Amino acid sequence: MEFDIRYKPAHTLAVCNLNPNEMVRAEAGAMVSMTRNIQVEAAARNKDEGMGKRLLKGLKRMALGGESFFTNTYTATTQPGHVTFAPSLTGDMIVHDCQGEQLIIQGSSYVAAPDSITIDTQFQGMKGFFSGESMFFLTATGYGPVLLNAFGAIETLDLNGEMIVDTGHLVAFTAGINYSVIKASGGWISSFLSGEGLVLKMQGQGRVYVQSRNPSEYGATVGAMLPPRSN
Amino acid sequence: MQHQLIDTPDFGMLQVTFDQANETIVAESGAMVAMDTGINMKTSMRGGLLAAAKRKLMGGESLFQNTFTASGPGERLFLAPGPEGDLRAMNLQAGETFMLQSGAYVAHVGDELNLDTKVAGLKGFFGGGGFFMLKVTGPGTVYYCSYGALHEIDVPPEGYTVDNEHLVGFTEGLQFNVRKFGGLRGLFFSGEGLVCDFSGQGKIYLQTRNAGSLAAFLHPYRPVQAKG
Repeated sequence: MEFDIRYKPAHTLAVCNLNPNEMVRAEAGAMVSMTRNIQVEAAARNKDEGMGKRLLKGLKRMALGGESFFTNTYTATTQPGHVTFAPSLTGDMIVHDCQGEQLIIQGSSYVAAPDSITIDTQFQGMKGFFSGESMFFLTATGYGPVLLNAFGAIETLDLNGEMIVDTGHLVAFTAGINYSVIKASGGWISSFLSGEGLVLKMQGQGRVYVQSRNPSEYGATVGAMLPPRSN
Repeated sequence: MQHQLIDTPDFGMLQVTFDQANETIVAESGAMVAMDTGINMKTSMRGGLLAAAKRKLMGGESLFQNTFTASGPGERLFLAPGPEGDLRAMNLQAGETFMLQSGAYVAHVGDELNLDTKVAGLKGFFGGGGFFMLKVTGPGTVYYCSYGALHEIDVPPEGYTVDNEHLVGFTEGLQFNVRKFGGLRGLFFSGEGLVCDFSGQGKIYLQTRNAGSLAAFLHPYRPVQAKG
């Protein structure tokens, strides 16, 4: 199983080639196209779990993240096949190769991974609640490629020490890094006025992926110009 | 008339250079970017009011189209589609057909080229937006656009499935069925996805982004209407 990312960087499409009996799991809205020998199953996150439990897990993700998060699985049957994936916004995709080390992913940056990777929801506690960017994190554990998307371009930052990352620009980071949510500057008022609000202080050693545009900023810029909605 | 597709794939634009007077090209209203002053632009409802109204109501295309006519050699015309993305040309022989998602039409050359709006899938079965396609029959050249990159697929023997909103067009020789897709998503969110299952021999053209997803992303950021 491999991801081949085409049309970089603005309008990327990931082509996932599957050999017979290989499987890829993807965020529910990401599928663009596929060969017809691919078998699709909804929300089959873990085959041992019953429907009720899977549903509860999906609801938990929605409640924590304030957004949809369901997955479909795509399995090639007797012949090789492929599935293509794309995110909803303009921007790049990248493959992070997990080698046993956990990857922590900002929820809407996750696209797809094979079943050798376990994806789970990480409860942020008060940190997630106060970040204000409807931030929810997923964890990817195991061995294999994880397909991530970004709004805009993706920059890979190697961290050894500490740095500050805006919550809206975070894509993912490796588990050797700890984070805390802090005010962007000393006081609450100046933090608010700076337009940065709360930011993430990342500490440790590892890799941080950031995106060059912030979906919330974009939404606020364009959304304010649209006619009011009734609900 | 010579054409050149420039600024592809992200911001495709069509540059036309006319060889002689009285050459024409027809374009979707609003597509003109720039042109030499000698070019004459005439606005009309192609095929008359009924045909134009059908296109407008069914296909979501504009009621009017513009015909650009050169007055001399060397005159230049630039045309561009609305969404960001790629722009391509499809040359059709006499009688050869090409099905286009109705919003993908940008321009065409050829007096005998025929454009007709067709219902794709089951009429009235899908509430709201519906699903209409433009049937283009040669001879002539049609220029079409995609939102995002344009991805080309040769339909394999086992067939091919495409998300409805990512479909741009397909060549003749293909049959397809429309069905619902999305599993659990449909239980919780309005507007469950539709896909097209293709079989036969031919090519499918996909777009790597779709306007509906962008609109869905932006919707929560709209201001909320005051009650009362």
